[in-house]
Amino acid sequence: MPVMKGKELRIVGFLCNWCSYGGADTAGVARAEQPTDLRIVRVPCSGRVDSLFIVKALLNGADGVLVSGCHPRDCHYSAGNFYARRRLEVLKRFLPVLGIDDARFEYTWVSASEGQRWRQVVASFTSRIHALGKAPRLGEDAQALLKAVGTAALPPPPLRTLGTGKNAPLDSLKEAIKEKLPELECVIGWRQGYDAAHTTPLFIRKTEDIDKLVWGPLNVANPAVYLPRFKGGKTGIVVKGCDARSVVELLQENLIAREDVTIFAMPCEGTLDMARVNEKLGRYAVVDGVVRDEAGVVITVDGKEHRFDMAEYAQNKCRGCVNPAAVLADVAVGGAPEIPADAPVPLELGLLDAMSLEERRAFWSSRMKRCLRCYACRNACPMCVCRDHCVSDTRDPHWMTQEADVAQKLFFQTIHALHLAGRCTGCGECQRACPVGIPILALRQQTARAVEELFSGYRPGLDPAAVPPLLGYETEEQNIHEREWK
Amino acid sequence: MRIGVFVCHCGSNIAGTVNCAEVAELAKSFPDVVYADDPMYTCAEPGQAAIEAAVREHGLDGVVVASCSPRMHETTFRRTVERAGLNRYMFEMANIREHVSWIGKDREANTNKAAELVEMAVAKLRRDRPLTAKTFDVVKRVLIVGGGVAGIQAALDCAEGGVPVVLVERESTIGGKMAKLDKTFPTVDCSACILGPKMVDVAQHPGITLYACSEIEEVSGYVGNFSVKIRRRATYVDWKKCTGCGMCGEKCPSKKTPDAFNEFTGATTAINIPFPQAIPKKAVINARHCRQLTKGKCGVCAKVCPSGAVDYAMRDNFVTEEVGCIIAATGYDLMDWTIYREYGGGAYPDVITALQYERLLSASGPTGGRIARPSDGREPQTVVFIQCVGSRDNSVGRPHCSGFCCMYTAKQAILTKDHLPLSHSYVFYMDIRAPGKMYDEFSRRAVEEYGAEYIRGRVSAVYPDGLGQYVVMGADTLLGEPVEIKADMVVLAVGIEAAKGASALAEKLCISYDNCGFFMESHVKLKPVETTTAGVFLAGVCQGAKDIPTSVAQGSAAAAKALGLFARDKLENDPQTAQVDIRRCVGCGKCVRCCPFGAVAETEIRGEKKAQIIETVCQGCGLCASTCPQGAVQLAHSTDNQILAEVNALCR
Repeated sequence: MPVMKGKELRIVGFLCNWCSYGGADTAGVARAEQPTDLRIVRVPCSGRVDSLFIVKALLNGADGVLVSGCHPRDCHYSAGNFYARRRLEVLKRFLPVLGIDDARFEYTWVSASEGQRWRQVVASFTSRIHALGKAPRLGEDAQALLKAVGTAALPPPPLRTLGTGKNAPLDSLKEAIKEKLPELECVIGWRQGYDAAHTTPLFIRKTEDIDKLVWGPLNVANPAVYLPRFKGGKTGIVVKGCDARSVVELLQENLIAREDVTIFAMPCEGTLDMARVNEKLGRYAVVDGVVRDEAGVVITVDGKEHRFDMAEYAQNKCRGCVNPAAVLADVAVGGAPEIPADAPVPLELGLLDAMSLEERRAFWSSRMKRCLRCYACRNACPMCVCRDHCVSDTRDPHWMTQEADVAQKLFFQTIHALHLAGRCTGCGECQRACPVGIPILALRQQTARAVEELFSGYRPGLDPAAVPPLLGYETEEQNIHEREWK
Repeated sequence: MRIGVFVCHCGSNIAGTVNCAEVAELAKSFPDVVYADDPMYTCAEPGQAAIEAAVREHGLDGVVVASCSPRMHETTFRRTVERAGLNRYMFEMANIREHVSWIGKDREANTNKAAELVEMAVAKLRRDRPLTAKTFDVVKRVLIVGGGVAGIQAALDCAEGGVPVVLVERESTIGGKMAKLDKTFPTVDCSACILGPKMVDVAQHPGITLYACSEIEEVSGYVGNFSVKIRRRATYVDWKKCTGCGMCGEKCPSKKTPDAFNEFTGATTAINIPFPQAIPKKAVINARHCRQLTKGKCGVCAKVCPSGAVDYAMRDNFVTEEVGCIIAATGYDLMDWTIYREYGGGAYPDVITALQYERLLSASGPTGGRIARPSDGREPQTVVFIQCVGSRDNSVGRPHCSGFCCMYTAKQAILTKDHLPLSHSYVFYMDIRAPGKMYDEFSRRAVEEYGAEYIRGRVSAVYPDGLGQYVVMGADTLLGEPVEIKADMVVLAVGIEAAKGASALAEKLCISYDNCGFFMESHVKLKPVETTTAGVFLAGVCQGAKDIPTSVAQGSAAAAKALGLFARDKLENDPQTAQVDIRRCVGCGKCVRCCPFGAVAETEIRGEKKAQIIETVCQGCGLCASTCPQGAVQLAHSTDNQILAEVNALCR
């Protein structure tokens, strides 16, 4: 059924049964005339409204989405709207990164007695959506704007001098592991991969395995992703600063038990952006040698030397890293550098910040077209704890279809990003794992930024005892203010 | 699936602006719809019979009714489909009256919108599953919060009906505001004489457990099985030993303790029994003014107490009561009238509230029933009553009428003349609201027989004239001229608000309250006693302004609701609860952390942590469902797939 051509736009409302749906009824009983565009979905509580319903509607042609619940403190279920308020505010700040105007989504509170207020909300929201006009579909304007994007910004200077970990006390680390290994089932670390220029995860089970452990800027993988699989057993893990935050987050979510995990920490001096390294190395047959000095790595392939200075080839996340040393460790080897500065806006996010909404839509349309739906991003994510039960792979609930269009692909990234809101430590494994190089980390970074702004600078993965902001609430939120309806 | 759609005309309510026949015709093209009709009145007896017939004739296994709000008739139609042999949850409603026909006049747009709402309902119905309620036991006890006249009536009615009652009162005696009144309108009979016997009944009834000086600390559970933690504040007197002889009060040296019962019109002792008819008649120490408790020196009451009941070391303690339902009867307090600077804002001793005046009139009050000016004890010759101080005044955020002030002002004018035959009373009023039985006659008597002078208009200022009197400046809006009266006393009919702490109690009970703290009833007209939380009922002024007869009536009504609830041995839960697919659950506990009711428990299945819903505790809000990233928790009848179906019907 189409909307009334030329007269109406597509506006979806999610109203809680107890207050706002009653308020809409009250408006009806009072014969309070309203625009006809809105279609109301009745839900038990605003807390039932998963942010993903809203994104789903917006990606599939809704021109506006309105959520309305009981006034704060008035929730029929006592606290549902407090949770909703936090989650919906994060969503509101997330939408623009997809290229969706956040004015197309609003949430408000209307009680069952406030028929007049409801009329005002509907009239005001409808006229707002009409002023914005029909929502552009993803991909519609992609070609025209493609030239505007894709020019890689210059990476910001790192907050500290990055190095190659040449002088890191690897031997002390090996000693420490040797000492603890008898009590542990396994210690997770890194070893040389299929050649000397790459590393893969190492699972140390026997003393002789310890010597396979390597350290350096090639240790890009986040070993925390394997930890929950060892749940119930005693496991050791060697971490960089960023990996430690993932471990903390897993502890916070009860996915591993503190007493089962032994954390071996080494101070990290930065890791290489393997995508660019591989690009420069090109196709090769043999790695002749890998030599580290203080400032970079020289990789010789097929007799040809390639130098990778850390200052130029480090991962973007390492440039903005403020936690090079583990925030939580049982055995810490080596000293930790102090980083005075605050983390800057990550490079990927800065790139999107500089774009208009149109450009962002074009950006995602063109980039997501390349997505293979291989889900490497998901599998590499240490916080993707659903494992075999990801909502992308099931029909119950049936969030995603099998169609290979841009909307579906971007919707999956949105699911991932919103599920990670308040949980993502920014380790960047999703983006690193992407075989087609889509800068999907930016979506996670945007949720992280929203959470940090809204909840007094909260950054995930620093305190295992913290209440994650989206699993809690304040009756009076400091940074979330009700918007007026005029 | 075979779905039938019924698009109701509702007379001309819907058909006036929606082409119902066309909507029904369009509905036939929606997936799985095999039958569609547009009856005149679907909710009427023939309309419901037609649904039943269609279900049987066309072998329908789901029904959509497009008519009024589901908040109106969902239950009605669920019963209809149940009679036709379907599960009651194989039914959806599309609200095409309140949300369509009544709010827009464009017939084409309305018809289109109605059809879309039907399409959404069909899309959801296709994913509906039969649900069955579970039954659970009921604890046949009732907890009543507040021992004013409404709470007392509810307690007595419940106890007489054979249901044990737990009555919790914040003050040291029950009786509430009524116990403070001298006389009551329209009969001018003694308040203590009609309330006193009821209070005694409460004390003597074997079915009533009374906790005075107590407050609700915590409420958990659900209808039929509430668990309520009660804080019993330290009284410093062991009530088991106290005989209420009053010796302690006589000897207490701290004689300047503010007397809350007398509305601070007089002083009392630090240990006292608030008034002679108090129930329970037990002494309480006011810790803030007791010399022993503040300075550690005195101990007089402990020495004189013949039963050794005084215990300075007493601390608050807690009891937990299991009850099946809760009646809130917390009453009211006066709003803070000192914001009215034009009336002195509390600075002039002879400008007092009507409740204070009531204490001056009362034989058990601080003056023994003599009307005396608080400033010099002189009997006033001219008394000015100002009505609506903090009622019907949007400028101070009090739009409501406090209901009973017109009547008690008339009563106080009459009593003033009775006490002081030479006195003269003026009443500044906005409107006289006297709709009760014998009320208008009563207020006319104040004017016609007792010579009270009623002036229609507001008072703009009250100020002392420096000679011991007060100048009251106002306007007579009927004559259209200013009025100036020299008064000895000014009595303010101060507007009411919900009792202090009412909103905190509402939050514990999960019920709504309005701007002034009054509790929200479930339906303004049809469910004035129920709340949106099952098993929580309202009685008296806590729900909104009402006088004594209405409070008593609502107390009885709430008791009837409680007795009705307990007439059944088992209750049925609402099967629209959360459910966990344990295969998908990874045991991360996010749902456990969020659930506002503690309805999600952690359990272990084959050594793995999983979430488990306690179905009788689950209220069906669905917060857990929107929290679970795997979609392992789903809310029955509002599953992700059902809401997605509605969204997908709209956006594609």
